[in-house]
Amino acid sequence: MSLAARLPSLRAMAHDSAVRAPRRRPHGSARPPAPTSVPWLTPRRLLVLAAVGVVVLAGILIGVSVAGSGGGSSSPGSVTGGAQTTALIGGIPQQGFTLGSPTAPVKLVEYGDLQCPICREFATATLPTIIRDYVRTGKVQLEFRGLAFIGQDSEKALEAVTAAAAQNKSWNMIDLLYRNQGQENSGWVTDSTLRAAAAAIPGLSVPGWLGDRGTAATKAKIAAMRSQAVALMGASGIRTPTFEAGRAGQPLQYLPITSLDAGAFTPTLDQLLAQ
Amino acid sequence: MSESRLRVAIGALALAGLAIASYLTYARYSGTQLYCATGGCETVQHSRYAVVAGIPIAVLGLVGYAAVLGTATRRGPLAAAAGVAVAAAGMVFSAYLLAAQLFLIHAVCQWCVASDVVVSLLAIAAWARFACAQRDLSLPRVAESPQPRRRRLPQQGSAPARMP
Repeated sequence: MSLAARLPSLRAMAHDSAVRAPRRRPHGSARPPAPTSVPWLTPRRLLVLAAVGVVVLAGILIGVSVAGSGGGSSSPGSVTGGAQTTALIGGIPQQGFTLGSPTAPVKLVEYGDLQCPICREFATATLPTIIRDYVRTGKVQLEFRGLAFIGQDSEKALEAVTAAAAQNKSWNMIDLLYRNQGQENSGWVTDSTLRAAAAAIPGLSVPGWLGDRGTAATKAKIAAMRSQAVALMGASGIRTPTFEAGRAGQPLQYLPITSLDAGAFTPTLDQLLAQ
Repeated sequence: MSESRLRVAIGALALAGLAIASYLTYARYSGTQLYCATGGCETVQHSRYAVVAGIPIAVLGLVGYAAVLGTATRRGPLAAAAGVAVAAAGMVFSAYLLAAQLFLIHAVCQWCVASDVVVSLLAIAAWARFACAQRDLSLPRVAESPQPRRRRLPQQGSAPARMP
């Protein structure tokens, strides 16, 4: 074969060796670039691929989270408002079911069912004003007397509150459950929700609280509160919320309420304080 | 920084993230109380934002960090693209969760903030690696660029120019 005939193959070899020749890579990288087996992959397409990945992944995560966090009641196993509850009653003395100084001159008692929507309204709209102006200032001591007459969710919630009362944290649990109240008897009081509420209470020993929920002492306290309600309203006349108020150490008086506005309570409290 | 060093950095950060996510997952399923200096960890961990489609965020974090760790063990532009996609998506989602803590839950979890820092650093490192991968991807194409103009060779059989 003549030299001229072999020229094309020689030229191809020379070109291949030029392509394969080691080159100095920028940034001092020692290794040659990793060969890619994807022929269509260009820097621009790689950028588009990564950007689409970011948008799709982040979009799905945020979208599902936003959709899952919507609605009025909390999803099973989660509670909200722990920080608000702590801010509302943190630092105020608690003893069993009472909130406020034991030496407060006036006592206000609420009979409530943790499933009762009006009790929830009182807890979230009215009580913060009373706590701020009367309880935190040492003028009034609040007491919760829990009832469970609406349904099974009431019983589970009241057991949870009573067990928290054994650690002097009942008002944290009451406030949290009202903030996260679901539809009556819809099964919203699940074990996971109660555990989440307990976990959100600073200083509450969750194992101790779990152990106290179903004890005979807890059931006895619940029965005692029901007896007090029956004595006040009669067995067939129980309704919530119902209030009693009076000077400390003296018999309490039934407090008729026509409105859940804080203004419906303050004249009575001021009058008792003035005595 | 070379791609191999970036991969080591990404691997180390992903391991740090895995450690945080593992602790939060363990606390979630064992019922143990989190060590918390900020006081809001339990509130955040039991809020409705702590679960996505029934899956706790801590578990999602485990999966995400493990995925980024997996991309760090492989070379190549596709692994770099997957790494930056997961890390950047994690950073965006973490920003959303941080906003939820500050403005919706009104409580801050120190472990979540630590994870936010890790995932942000991870996204930066993954982006740097991705930039390296893009540059490397373009290098072989330099060799395939238009051939230098060749000197025309005489055709076989054509009469060479003769000296007079």
